Amino acid sequence: MRASHILTPSPHTVTSININKPILPIMHTTVMDTAVLIEEDYQLLNPSEALSTAHIAGLVAKSFKLIAPFWPLKNLIAVNPLQGFEDLPFEEALPLGSAYFQQASLPEPMEAINRQTIKWLQAYFDDGQATLPMPLRQEGLYAAWRQLVGHDTCLHENDEQKQEWLTTLPENPAEAIQLYLRHTGIAPSEHQQLLTLLLTTLPGWAAYIRYRTDWAGLDANHRHPVTQIDYLAMRLIITQLLWPDAKALLSWHQGAVEQARSKSDVLANIQQAEDTYRMPLLQQLAAQPLTESRTPDAQLVFCIDVRSEPFRRALEATGDYQTLGFAGFFGVPVQITDTVTGETHASCPVLLAPKHTVHESPCCSPAEAAQDRTAYGRQKKLKQLYQSLKYSFTTPFALVESMGLASGIWMGLRSLTPGLASRLKHSVGQSIRKPMPVVSSLDTLPLADQCAYAEGALRVMGLTHHFAPLVVFCGHGSTTQNNAYATALDCGACGGRHGAPNARILAGILNKAEVRTYLGQQGIAIPDTTRFIAAEHNTTTDEVTLYGDDASEASKKLTQDLAKARQANSLERLKQMQKNADHSGGAQQTWLRSQDWAQVRPEWGLARNAAFIVGPRELTSALNLQGRSFLHSYDYTQDPAGSSLTTILTAPMVVAEWINTQYLFSTLDNVAFGGGSKITQNITGKIGIMQGNGSDLMTGLPLQSVYASDELAYHQPQRLLTVVYAPRPLLDAIIQAQPVLQKLFGNGWVQLACIEPNGRQTYVLSRDLLWEKIA
Amino acid sequence: MTMMALVVFIGVCVGSFAYRYLKGDTQYRQFFVRLAVLIGSVMIMVSADHLFLLLMAWCLSNALLVRLMIYKTSWKAARSAGLLATKNFVGGAICVASAFVLFYTATGETSIQTMIHQPALSSTTLLALGLLLIGAMTQSAIWPFHRWLISSLNSPTPVSAIMHAGLINGGGFLLARFAPLYLQSPSLLNVVVVIGFCTALLGTLWKLIQPDVKRMLACSTMGQMGFMFVQCGLGLFPAAVAHLVWHGMFKAYLFLSSGSAAKEKRVDQNYLPSPIAFICALLCGLAGSFSFAVSSGKAWLAGDTTLVLIVVASLTASQFALPLLQSKPLRSLPLALIGTGLFGIVYGGSVQLITWFMAPMALMQPQPLNGFHLTGLLALTLAWLSRLFIRTPEKAASSPDWMLKGYVTALNASQPHPDTITTHRNQYQYQ
Repeated sequence: MRASHILTPSPHTVTSININKPILPIMHTTVMDTAVLIEEDYQLLNPSEALSTAHIAGLVAKSFKLIAPFWPLKNLIAVNPLQGFEDLPFEEALPLGSAYFQQASLPEPMEAINRQTIKWLQAYFDDGQATLPMPLRQEGLYAAWRQLVGHDTCLHENDEQKQEWLTTLPENPAEAIQLYLRHTGIAPSEHQQLLTLLLTTLPGWAAYIRYRTDWAGLDANHRHPVTQIDYLAMRLIITQLLWPDAKALLSWHQGAVEQARSKSDVLANIQQAEDTYRMPLLQQLAAQPLTESRTPDAQLVFCIDVRSEPFRRALEATGDYQTLGFAGFFGVPVQITDTVTGETHASCPVLLAPKHTVHESPCCSPAEAAQDRTAYGRQKKLKQLYQSLKYSFTTPFALVESMGLASGIWMGLRSLTPGLASRLKHSVGQSIRKPMPVVSSLDTLPLADQCAYAEGALRVMGLTHHFAPLVVFCGHGSTTQNNAYATALDCGACGGRHGAPNARILAGILNKAEVRTYLGQQGIAIPDTTRFIAAEHNTTTDEVTLYGDDASEASKKLTQDLAKARQANSLERLKQMQKNADHSGGAQQTWLRSQDWAQVRPEWGLARNAAFIVGPRELTSALNLQGRSFLHSYDYTQDPAGSSLTTILTAPMVVAEWINTQYLFSTLDNVAFGGGSKITQNITGKIGIMQGNGSDLMTGLPLQSVYASDELAYHQPQRLLTVVYAPRPLLDAIIQAQPVLQKLFGNGWVQLACIEPNGRQTYVLSRDLLWEKIA
Repeated sequence: MTMMALVVFIGVCVGSFAYRYLKGDTQYRQFFVRLAVLIGSVMIMVSADHLFLLLMAWCLSNALLVRLMIYKTSWKAARSAGLLATKNFVGGAICVASAFVLFYTATGETSIQTMIHQPALSSTTLLALGLLLIGAMTQSAIWPFHRWLISSLNSPTPVSAIMHAGLINGGGFLLARFAPLYLQSPSLLNVVVVIGFCTALLGTLWKLIQPDVKRMLACSTMGQMGFMFVQCGLGLFPAAVAHLVWHGMFKAYLFLSSGSAAKEKRVDQNYLPSPIAFICALLCGLAGSFSFAVSSGKAWLAGDTTLVLIVVASLTASQFALPLLQSKPLRSLPLALIGTGLFGIVYGGSVQLITWFMAPMALMQPQPLNGFHLTGLLALTLAWLSRLFIRTPEKAASSPDWMLKGYVTALNASQPHPDTITTHRNQYQYQ
């Protein structure tokens, strides 16, 4: 590289910004607003004046719009990898997505740039892997990196000019971007595109930064802050050092777009799968008879998750049970704090911000609680003993010699007899810290909110009359070992966590006399004999745990029937995993899969999901939907204004669309949109997966979640079909008021169908949002 | 014997793990065929007495290992990593082969057992031992031949497990096999000690700064191999073999469980120990090293190279005591003393177990202490102290330039070879 390529601040660069005044904090908050403003101003200014730092902020925010966020491993959330293209029709988004993300190779100099970017991002975003982490991280990505990069011989290659230049980097990252753009010699109209391409050429890491900057939730106050401007400034400086002619990316991308336009067999395959699936389903649904309401022995509310459907079917077959479907966070937007460990997590859909903090403590006497605290301290101390020897100098040499025999035996047990190893671990774990039932305190939820959540949940699920003596709210979670993607199998409605805490909260609220009085005033009369209890469905083993000490006959019978349903559903699921088990061994085998550290397919998760059905259970109860449908209970007769349906379509359905597209694209191209094979995965920074020695952050689902083998896909890539049992005018009004629905239905990301309650005629919504009758 | 048992045990564990872990993989059958042949070949290698047979088994094992490492040939970065390892192993094999030729020309013997009991070293055998040492260094990823190891993580997890428990130990095995000859050359032993110390310190430093789990494990293995070399250089070959056996099992376990890395919760270790706690911990260290010495049949205050092991045991026992002494150090002292005493017994017992197996070979020959040993020991101690008392500053104002520069240098030095990184996501291939 020659000196002329290196940027030096020119006198008129400085005129537009005041270095002494930090403008960074302002940009944190107002990026979105200014983006729009700038767009208009931009047309009026001549190119040299257009590059104010506020303008840069707008450019950066817009360039990030094409990047879907990536949630870290602690709470993986399914998301459409082409989220940034949802404003386009599906048919146009596919080739464009391919041009951005599916290119077989990059311009060669980009490889070195990516290598260096990965190195620094890995170091900066490490969330607890390194014992001696990157210094200065509290100052933010750009500020910390700027002070370290001068020592990076891989970047300046001991070239004096480059070293010199690195010492003059501006303090303000926006200014660094400004300098770069001024000197690249590309037209201002192409600035944003260049920034976009610098993101899409390393899409996984850009996705993580999108998460940290726009979707961070509780990570918003992370100790190591980052802004989108930080990252792009760093990326541009690395680019400037390693590939001064990076503007060639623009023409490279142009070529990719032109090539991508010509292929379309992918779309044909998707449409074919949809056609064979949808018609029979709609016909079957329309033909189901609806029965009169009556009071069953018990009512159980499950999450809308597709894994609930086969279990509900199995349970209903064992007795007089009515099951309902509702988003697994049960309508309570909370974050949960464990009073023993002090850890907090959000337990509601990522579309919502938690409104309350609920404390969970060990049950029930203060003595027991104190005992649990001591036990936790003991557990922590043991961990500390091991870690203090492992993560230090010199001591690991002696550690491995002392632990070798024990870890060898333990490795043998876990590999050869995973069942025995698991039981052993369980009993040792119990002797160190006995698992205790937990109670959630509702003190932090004002009564008015409790009443509102209770009423809202019951109304949306249509459970306002014919209450059974026992009503169970059943959250769900998974149990897997040694699985980096464990949280991808948990409850998405609970932000990628287990659903039991939310179930406990809603059950607790509904057992309160004051709440029931309020509900009575609102016309929801709950008999005094009705008790609400919480439960959790383990989707890996199909075991359902009931919480609380309900000793009634009804609850005993339910426990037995749940065990029967577990056996039945385990057998059905084992068939999908190409395993045969005799009638009694089903649950044993699924349990073994949940305990096996070598198991890469512990359960199929939400694979093969295809439909989202909104209506009463009678519509689907006689059908075997093969675990492919999200089921949301809904009774249009109780929702004349359509407010419940609006919620269902704009929240749970949108989440279902995210899940559906995540599975779809992870199957279509498991390298570009998925995580690749688990067998070569390498967890970086405890936040994400790389492949092997180092790679882009592998967003999306791993190969083993959607493929039965390297060659054979298990998931069927097809778009979501939403079926609503409600009158069309109600739907029309909602769609008209909700741009997000117009976008999803109008651009073909989701197909909407309506079964008219009067006459049972089925209609599908065309892409120009008109109803078409189907035969 | 010990080595054979280790190889078979690890082979069975990794094999049964892979039986489920690799389900559905296009290379499923080939994997097990290669694994079985590899185990067979390593068995021949560790039991061979004939020079030529050993060399052949050595080359075959490494060739199979490389093929297992590459695994998916369509993945460019994996091929590059294989190539890098091949270059390293070929270089190593050439050194070993030349050493064997020299041995043969000097002694006319092809039986290792007969040859190692030569009464005196000729300059030819000395040269041969030097070449053999280089061969051992390449195999065990000793600095400066470590690059292939930290670039080897494109391999499937079970392959990494078998490698870090198996063939990486080849270097230590080679030194131990020819130990009687090395014991006749104190200067060569000093060379082994010095490179061992360097590798041990570098490997541990790099391990501590790695943000991803597998590279951390690889750097850690490098450090452990360094320490194993130190033990060889101290003339304590049975201790070195004990180290590689126990490290092998430990590391294989950590690789197989690396999918749990995101779930592992770290307990904050960044507190500064109070002076009282620190002094109590040193006391516990003495207790721990004493019980270590007793249980492994060593003299406690030895005047020879055994002292190095005693000091390491003592530092480790002190570190072990620190968390127990974190709050109320004086009141917890009895508990900590008992804890470290037990720790010392477990540690010493593990070492002693292997030493018993190897007792007939009489390879435990402590050497007189010299400056190299003491310098190395000092470095290990200072490194341990620095972890306890020096904190990486979070603010710029308080961070000395050497620390920033040191961090970046170490970060760059511990990067895998550039060609073995998947720089563009779509270059990754699983088929």
